Amino acid sequence: MDIFLQQIVNGLTIGSLYALVALGYTMVYGVMRLINFAHGDLVALSAFVGLTVYTQIFGESITALVAVITVFMFTAAIVAVVGVLLERLAYRPLRTAPRLSAVVSALGAGLVIQNSVMLIWGPNMKIFPSNIFPSTIWEISGIVITFTQVMILGLSSVLMVGLYFFINRTKIGTAIRAVAIDQDAAKLMGINVNRIIMIIFVIGSALGAVAGLFIGAYYRGVTFDMGWMYGLNAFVAAIMGGIGNIPGAMLGGLMLGLFNAMITGYISTQWAETFTFVLLIVILIFRPTGILGEKVAEKV
Amino acid sequence: MMNKTSMIAIALLIFMGFYPLFVDSAWLAVGTTFLVFSVVAFSQDIILGRAGVFHMGHAMFFGLGAYTTAILNVQFGWPILATWAPSVLVPMFFAFILAGPIIHLRGDYLLVATIGFNIIFIQILENDIFGLTGGPNGIFGIDIVRVFGIEFASGTYMYYMAFILLGIALFIMRNLDRSKFGRAMFYINKDEIAAQSMGISIRYYKLYAFVVGAGIAGAAGSMFSVQYSAVSPEAFNVTQSIMFFTIVLVGGSASLPGVLIGTFIMFVLPEVFREFATARYLVFGLAMILTMILRPRGIWPVRFGNIPSYLKKDVK
Repeated sequence: MDIFLQQIVNGLTIGSLYALVALGYTMVYGVMRLINFAHGDLVALSAFVGLTVYTQIFGESITALVAVITVFMFTAAIVAVVGVLLERLAYRPLRTAPRLSAVVSALGAGLVIQNSVMLIWGPNMKIFPSNIFPSTIWEISGIVITFTQVMILGLSSVLMVGLYFFINRTKIGTAIRAVAIDQDAAKLMGINVNRIIMIIFVIGSALGAVAGLFIGAYYRGVTFDMGWMYGLNAFVAAIMGGIGNIPGAMLGGLMLGLFNAMITGYISTQWAETFTFVLLIVILIFRPTGILGEKVAEKV
Repeated sequence: MMNKTSMIAIALLIFMGFYPLFVDSAWLAVGTTFLVFSVVAFSQDIILGRAGVFHMGHAMFFGLGAYTTAILNVQFGWPILATWAPSVLVPMFFAFILAGPIIHLRGDYLLVATIGFNIIFIQILENDIFGLTGGPNGIFGIDIVRVFGIEFASGTYMYYMAFILLGIALFIMRNLDRSKFGRAMFYINKDEIAAQSMGISIRYYKLYAFVVGAGIAGAAGSMFSVQYSAVSPEAFNVTQSIMFFTIVLVGGSASLPGVLIGTFIMFVLPEVFREFATARYLVFGLAMILTMILRPRGIWPVRFGNIPSYLKKDVK
């Protein structure tokens, strides 16, 4: 029973990281119908940027709330700029091209980001300092919860709820939903589609940056090619939930995190990915557009 | 009628035919692998370029063919010649079983499902299922082709075997293009809904393309395992699948010269620039983006789709 509850805590932690990354995939897909294969590499980039900012500006010694907040804000800003540049340079010229051309461009962009990280920070694993968050540990009837986990769960929930209200309650959110439904109609209603897509990339990349920093703080070791693995899992989460659907990405992320934790806890770590994809394929056989995905009629 | 394209094709054919005479063994191996990868790229093109199925797990079928030959030869002692048929049929069987339930999915869902198949395949190989696959190291010591005591062992033999394989693959593709299948494919690719309302079973033809493509990739896999006399999981992972996917789209989908150019750019050029190892993939990624921006339909896009020539006499 203890293992079960412990794995739920661990699963929710990983799941919220997946969910944060999955939101980036799903928002871009919802508006542009494009799988942003470079998104996972943005997550990896943010971990390295965050590490450099932290060690260069603050030195490794202090644990201060101000320092951590600054690192998060600064990294999110830098990665958001990279995300916007990515859209400008690699995706915008291809908006009217065949859909798969943009996919190849995204794959190429992923290679560029990943190898830039390798050339700048080197091919070896970098270790995050252990004192970013206090090493406080709570033990509740045998279950161990670390401060980092609480931070991850707390901040991810705040961000996700915030995003949900932003999309559903504000004027810009309404514009985003309108562009997702029909770009041309939205344009005719006076919505600046390019600006909306820019906002999408700013939000998606910033959420990915937060996830990247948490991955660094939680797992400590970061490598230049880790973006592929986290990206793929998050992408699977977005597909499970129904890609293009924001609550779906959150649900898919948490579900996949819990499922992964249960598999690694009870069955085996060797077959973890196999179970992930079997689950995905089973879900897709019964719900071809994901759990929360609507049934879309083909446009003629 | 000789037009420019067929003259280039004949020149290329002659060059490829005499290529082993003026290169050393290292470049001969590169040439052989180029031919094998072209066959895989053509089979990926049947699925992705012609049938329009978003398929990003093709290395799996390539690997299934290679491992079928390797397992039957090394673990069960079959001669290579006898493993050829199974190495085509096993990938076809799995393509049918696996793609059957999901072939109706929308493009992007299919993309991630096929990536999933490939990842599961790699995990099965690495975890050494039933003690057959040799785990992460793979299988060594695959035999050479022997016919009536003649041993086809040298690099030149390998090259010409791959050359013949490519010829067979091209022959199959030409026949597919000129058959009912090819016309149905072309129509589905142009307009799926219109094709469906004309009574063309999209599910049937997409699955057909998937199974045929898997079989051809399997044959190439068998050749690949004999050429290197070893197989290991990383030769068939998702990165490799992404390469085949990119080859088709960078070259030009459904275009024969396009796929050849794509294979050359994605496989041979990186071999040439091996010295610049560290910055190589950075440039590579930039080149992928630039190619797509400048030529969104690929470097050598197909002009009239795959309409047979006797139907387009009056066009142009």
